Amino acid sequence: MKGFFATFKNDHWVMPYLRRYRKLLALVLFLGFMTFFCGGALMFNSGYLISRAATHPYNILMIYVPIVLARAFGIGRPAFRYAERLTSHNWVLRIVSDFRKRLYQAVEKQAVAIRQTHQTGDVLSILAEDIDHIENLYLRTVFPLVIGWLLYLFVVIGIGYFNWAFGLLMLVLLGVIVLVMPLLSVAVNGRREFQARQVQRTFYTQLTDAVLGLGDWLISGRRGDFLEQQDQPIDEIATLRRADHHFQWWRNFAIQFIFGAAVILIVWWAGVMFTHNQSEANWVAAFGLALFPTVEPFSNMSQGVSEWPVYQDSIKRVNRLDENVPEQVAQTEIGTLTDLTLDHVKFTYPGAERQVIDDLSLALHPGEKLALLGPSGTGKSTLLKLILGDEQPTSGTITLNGEPIEKLQEQRAQLFGVLDQQPYLFNTTVMNNVRLGNLNATDEEVRQAVKAVELDDLISRLPLGYQTQVQEAGSRFSGGERQRLSLARILLQDAPIIILDEPTVSLDPITEQHLLDTVFSVLKDKTIIWVTHHLAGINHVDQVRFIEDGHFDMQGTPADLYQKNARFRALYDLDRGR
Amino acid sequence: MGYFKLAESGVQPVVLIKVIAFYHLLRGGFFVIDQRVFKFPGVKPAALMVGILTLIQAIMIIIQAQYLATAIVQLWKQQPLETIVFPLAVFAVAFLARHLLTLLKDWLFYPFVEKTTKKLRKQFMAKLFDLGPSVVAQEGTGNVVTMGLEGIDKIQTYLMMIIGKVLDLSITPWLVLIYIAFIQWKEALFLLAIYPLIILFMIILGLAAQTKADRQYAGYQRLSNHFVDTLRGLPTLKQLGLNEQYADNVYQVSEDYRKKTMATLTIAMTSTFALDFFTTLSIAIIAVFLGFGLMNNTIQLLPALVILTLAPDYFAPIRNFANDYHATLNGKNALTAVLDILQRETPTDRELLPVREPVWQADDTVNFSHVNVAYGDDAATLKDINFDVHGFKKVGIIGASGSGKSTLINTLGGFLSPAEGQISVRGTAVPHLDQKAWQRSFVYIPQAPYLFHASLRENLAFYTPDASDEAVNAAVARAGLTDWVATLPDGLATQIGEGARGVSGGQAQRIALARAFLDDSRRVLLFDEPTAHLDIETEVDLKKTMMPVFKDHLVFFATHRLHWMNEMDYILVMDHGQIVEQGTPAELQQLNGAYVRLRSEMEGATTR
Repeated sequence: MKGFFATFKNDHWVMPYLRRYRKLLALVLFLGFMTFFCGGALMFNSGYLISRAATHPYNILMIYVPIVLARAFGIGRPAFRYAERLTSHNWVLRIVSDFRKRLYQAVEKQAVAIRQTHQTGDVLSILAEDIDHIENLYLRTVFPLVIGWLLYLFVVIGIGYFNWAFGLLMLVLLGVIVLVMPLLSVAVNGRREFQARQVQRTFYTQLTDAVLGLGDWLISGRRGDFLEQQDQPIDEIATLRRADHHFQWWRNFAIQFIFGAAVILIVWWAGVMFTHNQSEANWVAAFGLALFPTVEPFSNMSQGVSEWPVYQDSIKRVNRLDENVPEQVAQTEIGTLTDLTLDHVKFTYPGAERQVIDDLSLALHPGEKLALLGPSGTGKSTLLKLILGDEQPTSGTITLNGEPIEKLQEQRAQLFGVLDQQPYLFNTTVMNNVRLGNLNATDEEVRQAVKAVELDDLISRLPLGYQTQVQEAGSRFSGGERQRLSLARILLQDAPIIILDEPTVSLDPITEQHLLDTVFSVLKDKTIIWVTHHLAGINHVDQVRFIEDGHFDMQGTPADLYQKNARFRALYDLDRGR
Repeated sequence: MGYFKLAESGVQPVVLIKVIAFYHLLRGGFFVIDQRVFKFPGVKPAALMVGILTLIQAIMIIIQAQYLATAIVQLWKQQPLETIVFPLAVFAVAFLARHLLTLLKDWLFYPFVEKTTKKLRKQFMAKLFDLGPSVVAQEGTGNVVTMGLEGIDKIQTYLMMIIGKVLDLSITPWLVLIYIAFIQWKEALFLLAIYPLIILFMIILGLAAQTKADRQYAGYQRLSNHFVDTLRGLPTLKQLGLNEQYADNVYQVSEDYRKKTMATLTIAMTSTFALDFFTTLSIAIIAVFLGFGLMNNTIQLLPALVILTLAPDYFAPIRNFANDYHATLNGKNALTAVLDILQRETPTDRELLPVREPVWQADDTVNFSHVNVAYGDDAATLKDINFDVHGFKKVGIIGASGSGKSTLINTLGGFLSPAEGQISVRGTAVPHLDQKAWQRSFVYIPQAPYLFHASLRENLAFYTPDASDEAVNAAVARAGLTDWVATLPDGLATQIGEGARGVSGGQAQRIALARAFLDDSRRVLLFDEPTAHLDIETEVDLKKTMMPVFKDHLVFFATHRLHWMNEMDYILVMDHGQIVEQGTPAELQQLNGAYVRLRSEMEGATTR
């Protein structure tokens, strides 16, 4: 229970929406209540109807009202239920739209931070799943619970109206079903659910690990070990499942047991209460039958609530998202680029000991082209992050036209174009993807850009041409083609500085060569910073710098270095296959 | 009702279920049961038992209704309270018995379900191992893992539900109906007549919803994936300066999705509505019928009340069934998917190659003759591969992307089986290289060797879990990892792999090499572009470590880094799935054909 309130203490993902859409929410609850009310009322009314009819009234009109009511309730129940389902789904989907926007904005603000601590794909799927969970929290827990309580209150007050003492008894008895049982479910199942999730997670990691490394398992010939490794979680899951089921079965039985007792008590009470004359006695059947349809909503409450721990996790996680929003720095703007200057830049990741960037200075002027080389882990990627303003130097400054980069973040897309290892293509048409570079570009301008990156032929030959879907993550196209499409996007973006972050890493040499030729010919007027892992295409640049342990270690024009530097020459020859 | 008679004649429940399934199948696939369920061992006795319990339960339902009605009628007649003690007591006993039977059914049936799912899971794991990485890659890693976890969970739910529900559906309503028929045949006839009508309406509306949903499915799928797609592409959006304005797009798309979903739901829910409408209205109509009957004195209150109390129980099984229809459908699909995997053929004849230590020796030969390999439907295939290699040769495989280098390495590793042609190893003809003995002869080193989520030591000694500490340390030293291991907090016990400590690409290659050092009996090395993503300096270092190992090993080395070719004894030049040239580097140089062309093209890439 404590955990329950703690979860909502700083909540701004669940409660605010209950408030914002309260009218629709009230409608959902009303419709839900009416569904079960009609169910109960139908039996109540029918019980009365036949009892009254059995007294042989001399005129059909005497039972006319119950006859009409029977039909009304009979139609009312399914109609209300249908309406309730539609309204509740509509309500939840409406919230989902809000959620998605919010989640997007939260992730957008912290994109850099999130990528540092998690594997991007993972965290995003988890967050997307969280939204589904909150969606289910409403549909499977909140609505049934509140509707169940409304019904409970109605029944208790209804009976209390005739006899407050008996009403009180029902309050306690049914209270066990609608209050104690759900709480018990959370307490017992909650812990188990937690355990089950942990086992599931271990199993998931282990199985993924085993499947990804299947080739090695196969070669190792350790079939027995492979199977044995999976046995433990399989057995653990089975044990937890069994315990979970046993609890559910006994709980459902207990609910039925109490419910049965309530029915007997009501019949008994009706016997005491309504047997003074025949017209009173006609009500006995009504009370005796009316309770039966309520058992379904009552027992659903416990089931919905036992899923709470799953939802709780999700609510906590999305709420944590909004914390630690990075602070904003006052922004400014610059005109035409005159220089990009790094002045004694040092950088250490927060909490880390090793200085990744150690006193780097560099000045680039419009149109200059720089290649950065060095073994992995020497700070190439970090340097790019610093230049883009995703990270701030621990000391030293990085400026454009004298303005520090952190003050130019709003103008960033007009200043920098980035082509990285795996540029993302969105699951839409080629036309839309390229146009993302400049939303105001005409179809003709998009086509020109695609022509410049030499893809116009290929795309025009496709049956749907520029309207071809690129499919998930651009899988319709090869690695080299995806890079070219992104390059077209950058051409439309038309920023003065282009960052190339190992764009050819997974391409074969011939594809790589063609791509680099295109890149440097279409970007000939731009300032280029190119991080590369080998020397293919190095003659395209006018300056090469090697980073080693955070500082520049050799530098010069490619021709110069080849002549004067033995190490460069050796690497260069090696790359050419000598 | 075609199967009504069967229920009484005591036919074995399994047969009964099949008949019902078929009946429903004929009526538009309303019913969801995979025939293979009946092949699980132990299903028949378990189902028989549940069937018997369901029968007893149906009797309890009737007794319960009968005695509750009796008690109420006594009160209606204004009899003293003592007269209702007995009927209420019987009601209480029957009511309890009814729900205890539910508990008992679950309790007795669950062991079968648990055993079956556990066995399925284990069979699934074993099958994965036997199918090997290529098949798994085709299915998709994520897909396979989900199938093994959630898929089998869904199957468990499905098995737990399906048999009990079907038996309930085929026993309870009819027993109740017979009892009602004994009391008042007209009402029974009405209830009987309404039943097929309900099913008919559900099918008609269900099909209508299905057609509409099918039509919307493509757009629907795209919209629902749009959100994750956007999140994944966020860095790109940021680079393009669209990150902020895209938030509204996210909202708009989600709203479109909502509208589309609601349109589908409105129709999809009509079939549940129809069921609900007919069942509830039937009860109302029965009540009114009974009212008239009572007025006309054609029926007494007690039987009327019994019928009214029983009517909801007549409809309960079909309602339960419809409520869980979607869970059932999911379970059935999962079951079909898992069983399909289990029924996949695994390579046979895996022990043709005789075991010998070491498997590969200096005077052994491997020979490919007219080998064709088909991979997937349209992906890279190998056509007419011929070569002959013996002893500890170093064989370079060179070609552009998609020329079939990886497919050839995968065939050499036995991960893919040839469709045609002849392979012979040490003079033994084998249909494929998925030979147990062959697998113990090689080490496979791809572009990114997989590191298990385990300690560094376990990763190093993966092929030889019993290796001594000295052997491991020696291998670490030969692979040039000693300095790196010294920097690790727990040395060899440090956890590496996904989610644990990061290992650079160069180090991963060295760990894979160390595996080869540790197992001296593995004399074949298969490399698939091991250095493609490494920077040139790391590659130079790694090459220094690798070269000594090549000496007394048979090496197959697929790469597009040209300098490796200088170290090779023999080269296979590949293009579009074929070997277009082969020979020693000197021979190929002299030939001045594909090899020279490819080399100069690739060299051009670096010199330009």
